[in-house]
Amino acid sequence: MKKTILTLLTAATLWGYGDGAIYWAPHGCDEGKATASKHGSHGKGESAMFALMNSETKASSHLILPDLSEKNLSFKLNTVMLPKPPMGGYYAMVAEGNNTNGTYSAIRYLSLNGRPCKVSPTKLTALPKTDLEIIPDPLHREHDRYTASKSYRFLLHFQGKPLINTAVTLETHDTPTQTYTTDQAGAFSITLPNDFKNVKVERSENKPSEFLLTTQHRDGEHLYKSTLSMPYSLNPNDYWQSQTYGAGAIFIGFLGGLLVYRRTKKGAKNG
Amino acid sequence: MDKLLTVTALRRVVQLTAFVFFVYGATIFATFYTGDKLTQNLPALSCAYDMKGGDYCALIPLQHQMDHRVSTIFTESEKVISALMPTLITLGTFALLILLLNKAFCGWLCPLGFFQETITMIGTKLGLTQLGSLSRETITKIRPIKWFIFLFLVLIFPLLTGIGFLGHEWGAPFCSICPSRIMTTTLTGDMNQVYVSQANWGYFALSLIADLLFGLMIALALFVRQPFCRICPILPMQTLFKKIGLLRLVKNGNSHCDTCSNCVKACPMDIYEIQDQAENKNITHTDCTLCGRCVEFCPHDGVMNFKYGPLTIYSSSKEGFKKRTKIDKWWKG
Repeated sequence: MKKTILTLLTAATLWGYGDGAIYWAPHGCDEGKATASKHGSHGKGESAMFALMNSETKASSHLILPDLSEKNLSFKLNTVMLPKPPMGGYYAMVAEGNNTNGTYSAIRYLSLNGRPCKVSPTKLTALPKTDLEIIPDPLHREHDRYTASKSYRFLLHFQGKPLINTAVTLETHDTPTQTYTTDQAGAFSITLPNDFKNVKVERSENKPSEFLLTTQHRDGEHLYKSTLSMPYSLNPNDYWQSQTYGAGAIFIGFLGGLLVYRRTKKGAKNG
Repeated sequence: MDKLLTVTALRRVVQLTAFVFFVYGATIFATFYTGDKLTQNLPALSCAYDMKGGDYCALIPLQHQMDHRVSTIFTESEKVISALMPTLITLGTFALLILLLNKAFCGWLCPLGFFQETITMIGTKLGLTQLGSLSRETITKIRPIKWFIFLFLVLIFPLLTGIGFLGHEWGAPFCSICPSRIMTTTLTGDMNQVYVSQANWGYFALSLIADLLFGLMIALALFVRQPFCRICPILPMQTLFKKIGLLRLVKNGNSHCDTCSNCVKACPMDIYEIQDQAENKNITHTDCTLCGRCVEFCPHDGVMNFKYGPLTIYSSSKEGFKKRTKIDKWWKG
């Protein structure tokens, strides 16, 4: 009952988000957090449960492991619980569903701790997962995170080939939707907005937010709609870290070095 | 062309190539992700914060292991062997790399070392009076600092952080003050590492020290050779394994060795001990970066030698000395 209420609450909060396309969102229930804690592979306070939002059609989902093997994920209502990760590295959660209007797909990448896998994450991102796919180019590096006020590059592929001049929308909870267009290489870059509220000093004190990239492509009569959803964190340089003071401190250090030079030169002259 | 062919010229080519790889490697090769890095344990200051780098230094995994794994022996009663395994793997890889190239990682491959040498070259060309060798007294005072940094900033503070005695800011304190973090990121156009943090006193102190140290290092490098290398904690870590290194500096001295001191004048780290009498002895000092300048500037045949295992790969000679001093005079104008 509690789980159903939480699912409904999450869905209500995110109503209208994603423009009808399916997308993955973390499910912050106790069960998901307890499972993540048991796995020991997720970050502090993270959940092992994810909800597939806007999933009106029957969708199937699977998990691609860092070694590129696959595991089916089964839905309970619209949620899936990740199995205990057998290795560390990047995982891709993929969901795909069809209805009379077209094909819908959603992808989300997760970086989980564990014994490292020897397959490069480059192969995971390059592996075609759905017909229409938004591919991070590259993903944020392990132990790093998507961060506000920074720019990131993505590729848009349709059936393995770059899709040019196509609109991709970026949505976050507190910034109006922005639209980007892919270039001749099917690439586009976004700058994540600094839209965090009630910010507390120290990054670990602030929960990450979510961004959602959505695109669609019509191939004849058939519509393809795909999303990529990922968490992003605030940028300390927007709040409690001053770059101006940093540059100033470097300059003071440099001046200090020049003073040492003056003294040594004087000392050398005086014998 | 033959006139310019010296160990230093060869070293500059290797350094430049290594610099491009370690600072910009991911733009050329598929080395962006951690798992794709060349060694993930480099015995040189190539920074993990540089998103375009080809590899990163051994000090970052070591600090994280102290903070997150070794500390679990005390906090979660983790089995010692399980908690130490990642550190043993790091040390094992590090030892293997030292076996292959020993301290040449510093003199030939370190991007921060090359950066400082480049600034010194700029200082020379700008006509700034070069300090030459530091006094024995100064060197004796400076030498323990790197051990202090290695023990406290790389091992003890991260371990105490993991146990819970110190705040999170002390989890990787050496990285927080390392000039390579600021240098490599800035050179790739990422200014995010230049900051003063106001999160708390610990973050504030570490970020301020980092910036001041970076500015100071640049200014000092204009007239002092290798200013940061003298306190770099990679040197003590290398020293733990230097005995197994195949590449080494071997001295087979003669009676002139006490008087000439050309080798000490040439040494960018001011290692006075290299002028001491030695007979066929490995004199690779803790501070040595195996740059080879002492071999180049030794005027005696076969006294200073670069050896790789049983092979002598380069020896001092009268001819080599003449050629090197001529080039040095030309360079300094």
